[in-house]
Amino acid sequence: MKDKVDLSVNLGSLHLKNPVMPASGTFDIRDTLLNMRELNSLGAIITKSIASRRREGNPGPRVWETDGGMINAVGVPGEGVEYFKEHILPLLEEANDTIIVSMVGDSIVDFCALAKKLDNFEKISALEINLSCPNLNNGLYFGVNKDVLGDLIYQLKKSTQKIIIAKLSPNVTDITEMALTAQEAGADILTIANTFLGMAIDPEKQIPRLGNKVGGISGPAIRPIIVRMIWETSQKVKIPLIGVGGITCAQDALEMFLAGASAVQIGCANFSNPYVMLEVIQGIKEYLLRKKYSSLLDIIGLVHKNHF
Amino acid sequence: MEAYENKPLLVKGKIRKHKLISNNYGEMVIEAPQIAKRAKPGQFVMLSRWQIKNLLLKRPFSFYQINPQEGRFTILYKIVGKGTEILSNSKIGDEIELIGPCGNGFLLPKEANRIALVARGIGIATLLPLAQEASNRGIEIYSFLSAREKSLLLGRDSLESLSFHTFYTTDDGSKGRKGKVTYFLEELLKENKVNFEAVYTCGSKRLAQHIQELQQKFHFFSYVSLEERMGCGIGACKGCVIRTCHGYQRVCKEGPVFPLEEVMFYER
Ligand SMILES: Cc1cc2nc3c(=O)[nH]c(=O)nc-3n(C[C@H](O)[C@H](O)[C@H](O)COP(=O)(O)OP(=O)(O)OC[C@H]3O[C@@H](n4cnc5c(N)ncnc54)[C@H](O)[C@@H]3O)c2cc1C
Ligand SMILES: Cc1cc2nc3c(=O)[nH]c(=O)nc-3n(C[C@H](O)[C@H](O)[C@H](O)COP(=O)(O)O)c2cc1C
Ligand code: FES
Repeated sequence: MKDKVDLSVNLGSLHLKNPVMPASGTFDIRDTLLNMRELNSLGAIITKSIASRRREGNPGPRVWETDGGMINAVGVPGEGVEYFKEHILPLLEEANDTIIVSMVGDSIVDFCALAKKLDNFEKISALEINLSCPNLNNGLYFGVNKDVLGDLIYQLKKSTQKIIIAKLSPNVTDITEMALTAQEAGADILTIANTFLGMAIDPEKQIPRLGNKVGGISGPAIRPIIVRMIWETSQKVKIPLIGVGGITCAQDALEMFLAGASAVQIGCANFSNPYVMLEVIQGIKEYLLRKKYSSLLDIIGLVHKNHF
Repeated sequence: MEAYENKPLLVKGKIRKHKLISNNYGEMVIEAPQIAKRAKPGQFVMLSRWQIKNLLLKRPFSFYQINPQEGRFTILYKIVGKGTEILSNSKIGDEIELIGPCGNGFLLPKEANRIALVARGIGIATLLPLAQEASNRGIEIYSFLSAREKSLLLGRDSLESLSFHTFYTTDDGSKGRKGKVTYFLEELLKENKVNFEAVYTCGSKRLAQHIQELQQKFHFFSYVSLEERMGCGIGACKGCVIRTCHGYQRVCKEGPVFPLEEVMFYER
């Protein structure tokens, strides 16, 4: 009886028991409907981007639904790294074995200092670098400039032993160039990608919908662009990829594996369906069984082989 | 993790009654015992009657009537866009997905004798279950209701029957006095004859700002229920903030009910 499939995957030295985790900023361990068992069944848990100091975030409105998605300009609010270590990290440790901390910084120095502060925590498996948060001037700056991006990753690798995941910005002409730069600078894994810069305007009031005026677009509308970016990037780089953007069901996640991603993150679909990540894990398993694969590894990048 | 039992739940409800009121409003009875049993006045539900690929986010609606015994609650909604349009086409028996109860409800002071409810338009919906609870506790209610015109004074009969006194204002004078919502409240406070342990308001930022001004003159305690665009409704996305004296706070988690004096309104 062959009813077992192996969903585990190694992204370099980062081992995941399955390839599904939340996307940074769309899930909060303090405010989740999932119980302990459910939290533990996720491939990993990733935090909202943590900064070295307390940050207020942007004025409201911070979110607006757009056709096929949403636009947000939350602006990375948070209590800062010290609060995180004391109050949030213990909750995460209880909930899942694989904890990824997303980081945001104002400067290379700031980023490196933050990474050092997290370096001693054994339970943190990896650091994801938010290079592309389009809501902060500095975030945009890191993600769209090759030299600065390379320099940041290089310095970070010198500051910490942790696995470095570079979360790229899609707001560039050629994402594979950024991916190659990050790889050369020492990034262990790439996340593709953050939100797309956009804007919505209220024709009645004749003002921008968001307090920050512009924001990042996420949701189903961006998925085909992300799938294309994963497909392109996986042909050029050797390091593993995590796909994120617009996943709402297992089918959507499968597209990303087939295009070359080794794991996926799910963002705003969690808002409407807090159980979506569990459903996607189940759906991937069912697909592999139905197609008679024994492991997720069998389908990663398969589209490259099937198309000539 | 703390207070696990108080977390909102994701459940499927059934639409049991549904009627449209004029062209722009609807009233819907939803059966969802797990939510109805725990719902408190001032709290809300996130709901969707659509697939995530058609419309991404759930939409927030206040509890309008709560009937824990029957496992049902009612919402009163205004049709303003895609989501409420779909909602208005619902049929009895349709399934509806819910997350709730969300947020913190209204607090009634322990020793209250008399409270005031000040609401405009659809905001009346949010205050009705509070009136019900206050009335059950024998608290005297003064209601101050306002709308653009008489037909938009929704739920006024229910509220009036629970109130000791109901004052109406409309923009066009079609019911009660024409003009400013807070006129009657200010008159009463000026005469210094009645004393409210708390004033509750909902439905308009402008109205809440007026009451804040009165608060500075007459020093009463007040709660406001606020709305903001929402992503998740459970505190996770930090999308629904308003400005308060404690910094940004989430309407869905720290709110939607806030002590009025803590809220910092600003015009965009
Ligand atoms: C805590 C809370 C409780 C609420 N309770 C009720 C209720 O009991 N009854 C009710 O009818 N509505 C209530 N609302 C508002 C309701 O959620 C929105 O009207 C609804 O989400 C609109 O969805 P839509 O898809 O139809 O409109 P959309 O397509 O999302 O928007 C259509 C238009 O309506 C405006 N709009 C939408 N939502 C809001 C909002 N929250 N505030 C101001 N303008 C908005 C938008 O600017 C837009 O132009 C509540 C909101 C909150 C936050
Ligand atoms: C409300 C909200 C907040 C977000 N906050 C962050 C953040 O703090 N750091 C980050 O790297 N990405 C953040 N993102 C981007 C997501 O992690 C993800 O890249 C994006 O939403 C695309 O995935 P999705 O379409 O599945 O939502 C945020 C997205 C949303 C919607
Ligand atoms: S709506 Fe997500 S935090 Fe309030």
